[in-house]
Amino acid sequence: MLSIANRNLKIFFRDRAAVLFSLLAVFIILGLYVLFLADTLVDSLPVFEGASVLINSWVLAGILAVTSVTSTMGAFGIMVEDRSRKILKDFTTSPIRRSQLTGGYILSACSVGVIMSVVTFILGELYIVMLGGELLSLLSILKVLGLIVLSVLASSSIVYFITTFLRSQNAFSAASTVIGTLIGFLTGIYVPMGSLPEAVQWVIKIFPVSHAGALIRNVMLEHPMEVSFSGAPAGAQAEFTENMGVVYHFGSYQVEPWLSIVILLVTTLLFFGLSLLNVSRKNK
Amino acid sequence: MGNIIEVTGLKKKFGSLEAVKKVDFTVKEGSLFAFLGPNGAGKSTTIDIISTQLQPDGGEVLIDGYHLGRDDDQIRSSIGIVFQDSLLDPLLTVEENLQIRGRMYGKSRAELNTAIETAAETAGVDEFLKRPYGKLSGGQRRRADIARALIHTPKVLFLDEPTTGLDPQTRKRVWEMVLKLQREQGMTVFLTTHYMEEAAQADYITIIDHGEVLAQGTPLELKNRYASDMLKIKPVNDAELATLLKELGLAFERDAAGIYRIALNHTVEALGILDQCRENIANLEVVNGTMDDVFINLTGTEVRS
Repeated sequence: MLSIANRNLKIFFRDRAAVLFSLLAVFIILGLYVLFLADTLVDSLPVFEGASVLINSWVLAGILAVTSVTSTMGAFGIMVEDRSRKILKDFTTSPIRRSQLTGGYILSACSVGVIMSVVTFILGELYIVMLGGELLSLLSILKVLGLIVLSVLASSSIVYFITTFLRSQNAFSAASTVIGTLIGFLTGIYVPMGSLPEAVQWVIKIFPVSHAGALIRNVMLEHPMEVSFSGAPAGAQAEFTENMGVVYHFGSYQVEPWLSIVILLVTTLLFFGLSLLNVSRKNK
Repeated sequence: MGNIIEVTGLKKKFGSLEAVKKVDFTVKEGSLFAFLGPNGAGKSTTIDIISTQLQPDGGEVLIDGYHLGRDDDQIRSSIGIVFQDSLLDPLLTVEENLQIRGRMYGKSRAELNTAIETAAETAGVDEFLKRPYGKLSGGQRRRADIARALIHTPKVLFLDEPTTGLDPQTRKRVWEMVLKLQREQGMTVFLTTHYMEEAAQADYITIIDHGEVLAQGTPLELKNRYASDMLKIKPVNDAELATLLKELGLAFERDAAGIYRIALNHTVEALGILDQCRENIANLEVVNGTMDDVFINLTGTEVRS
């Protein structure tokens, strides 16, 4: 299993185009913000101090949630390619268990997800520090790293489920483009969710990866919010957290972090279970 | 020497298509076995089943004493396969490919390194071991494929059209390597090919079509049974030769160029005929039956896609 995972990692990182493509959504988000969204957002905030650090932290948190999906998608691309180029035959005629093979693919996808997310996290933090923001506290960094792992687990299980349906390279490219584009909306990152219609907000809240986004925002914005909202009118921070998807409300119920974590864990189990069902159905 | 592969009553259906109806054959240990058939005859399906990729609907397969379906992992450890398409990773070097595939056989690092060295030397891939597989030429790739199949020193080496698509020089080189493996290392080689001159060098041939075995035997036996030698005569006087042949009671054909073709049961029969029409011969040729004739006689002349 380790040797298969190791192989997949080598192939993934040697294919520069695949690495870049798996970050496509991240580039779209960055482009959007650098070009126009950042200024609009900063202007709309009822605060002055540290507004750009606040917004940049918010964007970075969202990007981390998205990266966990798109990078694992890129890694699972190897599985689809092995299937369509029939390289799989070479593995199934070797004395290696099917479960080891599948485990290898999942392990490599999760590793790719974590590696890419951590790299993004480091680069993002450097950028924020350059802008005059403060580095996160050690505890917060550890929390973010933990959340990255959790978010990668949930995302990879969803992505794995999707790829079990994809047989050809074309189908995979199409799916990854669609997902890469949609994911920014589904997690409420392209546009703050407060400015979206109620129905769309619901979709965002139901989508599991958004909960990873909310959790990461929670940790990363904790300190910047203290700075920015220290002199602001009461209720301003609450409105901000609601609008920007730092906390979600189902009606009047506020989703606590533990519930988001449970949602992510359940998602992981549910989709891996479904994938296994789908794979064993096809093997018959 | 015993049989290393025994296949009895093999069956496989895909929906309503009976890809393999009833296939029986045995392969002797250490022999070069050629498995022939036109496209769509059921060759690939049979190989897929024997190599544990497909489950048969019926029949029994024994490889090196292991039962297919029960001891699949042992079978997988005792066979090496060179597939028709290239199945190594183009972005990785040949060496990395061999390491990755070798690790699936549960070898220790030291064992694996020796195995890679041996396989690389046998297959002649030393000089491009560090180059990415995707950048190799067709012939180099084929050799790398063979090295991969040899990595765990299998008992049986399956080669699915190993020389298809290669230029004549490379084809010769790959073919010589295959012969060397069988003759010098005593490896059993199971081969499918469309080149009859290769099949003619096998120890034993099985020809299948429409999912059934049509004929089996050594190349010589098959040639004797299914191909005849042919005497070709271009006469000086056309009518005279025709009358003579009719008198002798010989079946013959006359083609548009005025050449008479007479099928012979034995090559020496030609002498008797030639003696009787010595004065009438402008030109003559005796042609031996070939594996091509055997193949076409058995499987027909229609072209399959």
